[in-house]
Amino acid sequence: MSILVNASTQVIVQGITGVQAAFDTQWCLQYGTRIVGGVTPGRGGERVHGVEVFDTVRRATARHRVDASVLYVPPAAVKDAALEALDAGIRLLVVTAEYVPQHDVVTIVAAARRAGAHLVGCNTNGLIAPGLCKLGGIGGMSPAEIYVPGRVGVVSRSGGMLAEIGLALKAGGQGVSTAVGMGGDGTTGMEMKDYLLLFERDPETDATVLFGEPGTNNEQQVAERVASGSIRKPVVALIAGQFQERYPAGMSFGHAAAMITDDTKTASAKRQMLRSAGVHVVDSLEEISPLLKRLGL
Amino acid sequence: MIRLDEARTKQWLRQAGLPVPTGAAAVSAEAAGATVSSFAGPAVVKAMVPTGRRGKAGAVRLADDARARAQVARELLGTQVNGFPVDAVYVEECISIKAEYYFALVLDGAAPRLLLSRQGGVEIESLSRDTPEAIVQAFVDPLEGLAPWAASELWLQAGVASSEVPMLAAISCLLYDAFCRADGLMLEINPLAIDASGQAQIVGAMMGVDPHAMFRHPDWAQSRDPLPGNPRERAVELANRRSPNGECQYIELDGDIGLLVGGGGAGLYQHDLLLSFGGAPANHCVTPPLSADNSKLKAVLTAILSNPSVRGLLVGFNFAQMARTDVRVRTLVEVLDEMEVDTSRLPIVIRLFGAGEEQSRAMVEGRANIHYMPRGTTLREAAQRIVELTAAARQPNEAAA
Repeated sequence: MSILVNASTQVIVQGITGVQAAFDTQWCLQYGTRIVGGVTPGRGGERVHGVEVFDTVRRATARHRVDASVLYVPPAAVKDAALEALDAGIRLLVVTAEYVPQHDVVTIVAAARRAGAHLVGCNTNGLIAPGLCKLGGIGGMSPAEIYVPGRVGVVSRSGGMLAEIGLALKAGGQGVSTAVGMGGDGTTGMEMKDYLLLFERDPETDATVLFGEPGTNNEQQVAERVASGSIRKPVVALIAGQFQERYPAGMSFGHAAAMITDDTKTASAKRQMLRSAGVHVVDSLEEISPLLKRLGL
Repeated sequence: MIRLDEARTKQWLRQAGLPVPTGAAAVSAEAAGATVSSFAGPAVVKAMVPTGRRGKAGAVRLADDARARAQVARELLGTQVNGFPVDAVYVEECISIKAEYYFALVLDGAAPRLLLSRQGGVEIESLSRDTPEAIVQAFVDPLEGLAPWAASELWLQAGVASSEVPMLAAISCLLYDAFCRADGLMLEINPLAIDASGQAQIVGAMMGVDPHAMFRHPDWAQSRDPLPGNPRERAVELANRRSPNGECQYIELDGDIGLLVGGGGAGLYQHDLLLSFGGAPANHCVTPPLSADNSKLKAVLTAILSNPSVRGLLVGFNFAQMARTDVRVRTLVEVLDEMEVDTSRLPIVIRLFGAGEEQSRAMVEGRANIHYMPRGTTLREAAQRIVELTAAARQPNEAAA
């Protein structure tokens, strides 16, 4: 089993005629993802790797049951495309674009929450339920080489580190139930705790691994849920970016969110907060698998 | 965040229908004097710098006629105020102020945050330290916007007189709409003044806008922060501004291991790892994931290799899921050759696996001291290796010195 997607999830790709979208669509199809349509206004009737292109999302949903949409539209078009997908009743959106204007981000995040929809991203390379479904560029051309099926749920700020965690688990003889790149922006649709709460309810997930960075209160929210007992499955956390504490606050290194605004947002503070809540905090990828084994997983 | 100057901020608010005193920017004493032709009478001349406490710094002065306006401008232009060079002044009609309120909007989370207070005219930092209860804070639902009745409630909570509430609420709603249309990340009105006739006036105004929304505001795209002083940081920032394909960043630090990373999570992780092994990164960087245009990657590599402190280089990337490895390695080889870098004295560790890897390995084969790690090497092992190799490379240099 898995969270958010499974083998029967039907997917459309908004902006499918773009280069990256077409590339990822090809590899998703090969992986077995059921992509039932694409949307690019003005390009209705074309085909991309055999997938029919529609002019609007509603045209696609009129023809197919659509469970999820992956958005490859450029930052300036994200707001309208996301609102269009929500308006058509789609309840899982994966937004890949980085640098979406903040006002657009908060609008679509609020609209998704109001609609009761799951919004993954922005700035995500997608999610994968190994052997069942993958949305987005996650795993690239060799998803099976990185993510093997198993019982560990993974959520990461960074798409690249998600792959490293997948490889580390594989090296330790473990596998992944679902791996999600939640996006590196300050404000994301789903927050870290939302994924962990879904994993908590997934009978096929025994433990979760999270990768965090300085900035935002995502890890703090996780610590609160673990401390209060609403997250009971073991959580392993790797938090990078301790080096930033050597430099003045307000300096941003990389991801938009990875900027320290106050003392509770540093990597050290997050590690401490998670550890006191009962989360297993590790310093390196190599520690994850042995730790899970010690926990009997 | 792009900080707009006072003239641009006020121009935007004026066009949004807000009560902004008449004023104009001037870049010379003559231009400052000439403002009398559009508005005569009592005026203030202010150094146009994006900072508070200008009054305390002596950078806000009264000047009425043309000669006085020109004289103050002459004194202010070319100086520094709170660390910012004064390239322009803002000349504005003088408002007689009866009361000073505070209004701000900030977008740094999932919803815009509104802050207001009856105690304006002082810095918000000192207000929040000394009398935090004087600041009223609320989040605005981005789908609903700011309703006049909600704004009225907040001003009442702030303790203003009932008679002023309708006016302040109307202004707050206009400011909220102007903030959203500007793609504002921060808007501070301090003071939001009440003049002698009881009318509200936007006297102090600062706005920061979203650099990623400049496609909606092409006029503001050039209002960016000044270029960094460090020549290598400056070169990378110029390359960044030159083309729209992804973003690059280069921040020089005090260590001696050059760090070429993507810039997301793995960049942070490797930086931590280098420190844990006793190494010290010479920089942090961000390189774009797209491989179509390598100019930004090239700019960052050139900066790293031009840094005289660099004694080793770690090219450390996650298992490549999308970008091709050979594009990165080809760029590395190009820069090494163009700069005629003697790699026998500069160890390079490459941890880069994925599409195009065979070609990548072939490109560096036979080059001295380039260590392309075997597939499966962890980020940690690569970090340890470059720390060891750099330590070894450092020895003869230091012995020679």
